[in-house]
Amino acid sequence: MNHKSDHEMKLEAIDRILATEDELVPSQGFLAAAMDRIREEAATPPPIPFPWKRALLGMLPLAGAVGWAIYEAIVSVPSQAGNFVLRLPSLSAAQVHSLEDAGWVAIALTASFCSWLASRQLAGRSGLL
Amino acid sequence: MHSTSSADEDLADVERVLAGDSEAFAGILRRWQGPLVNMAWRYCRDRHRAEDLAQEAFLRAWRGLAGWRRESSFSTWLFALAANVYRSELKRIPSVNVPFEEIHEPAMPATQYTAAAEHRQQEALRRAVLALPIRYREPVVLYYFHEMDVAAAARTMGLPEGTMKARLARGREMLRRRFPQLGDESGSAAVSTFHIGKEALR
Repeated sequence: MNHKSDHEMKLEAIDRILATEDELVPSQGFLAAAMDRIREEAATPPPIPFPWKRALLGMLPLAGAVGWAIYEAIVSVPSQAGNFVLRLPSLSAAQVHSLEDAGWVAIALTASFCSWLASRQLAGRSGLL
Repeated sequence: MHSTSSADEDLADVERVLAGDSEAFAGILRRWQGPLVNMAWRYCRDRHRAEDLAQEAFLRAWRGLAGWRRESSFSTWLFALAANVYRSELKRIPSVNVPFEEIHEPAMPATQYTAAAEHRQQEALRRAVLALPIRYREPVVLYYFHEMDVAAAARTMGLPEGTMKARLARGREMLRRRFPQLGDESGSAAVSTFHIGKEALR
């Protein structure tokens, strides 16, 4: 019982000390300095939004080209479903070339997508988005 | 803490700012500079830094003014935003680097009580709050900032009241254990030599 009252007494002492604190008066220049920053912010033009419409217009032919490349790659490879074994089909030089092209396009697209994701992530962290 | 007229003034100023009158933000600044600087002071106990933090909070408030959905009062929104700013800024550059375990009371109690000793004791306790683990520090800071109003502190932190109460109880208990002679009948005599790490007393 005595221990409990001692416990409560100590908590009350903590409350008394932490609840009573002198008020800090902001320095004289605080308001003016804060207002200056606000004015500066207000004068800054808003960030230019990403031109999604234009980007999509540009992306459509690109997507078409990629689709075409993939189609070409699939069609040009002779169907060898019957003898599906672990060996590479024999490809002509032209077929190998178009496959290589498709591969490069795929790599470029993946790299672009990754950099776009990374930039969004960074912009999000810095509060720009 | 805040009157209805102040709430009306806040609303009017917010409307004006959103309508393009950036100078109307001065009204908000004038009314809330004291509370926000004092709140920041309780987070870091460094006057210069408290003003910097409060200024940053006002700037974020300015940027996000359109995001205030009027579901809560302007003050609740502003305090919650400020708490977020202070928390993230102090996580980046902490104000106290002394672990809570290193803050201690010396074994030898003083025999004479003085007002200066009492002041030192109080200051040691206030600084000990900043050395509490982050989980308990903020509930303690906000509870006393909001004049021991658990609901207001919980709203500012965006926590359920039950969670706030539990963390608060744990934080206060840690402080009580760290300062065993606090509130003794022998007066604050024993605490005239309260010791706290040098860094914590910066």
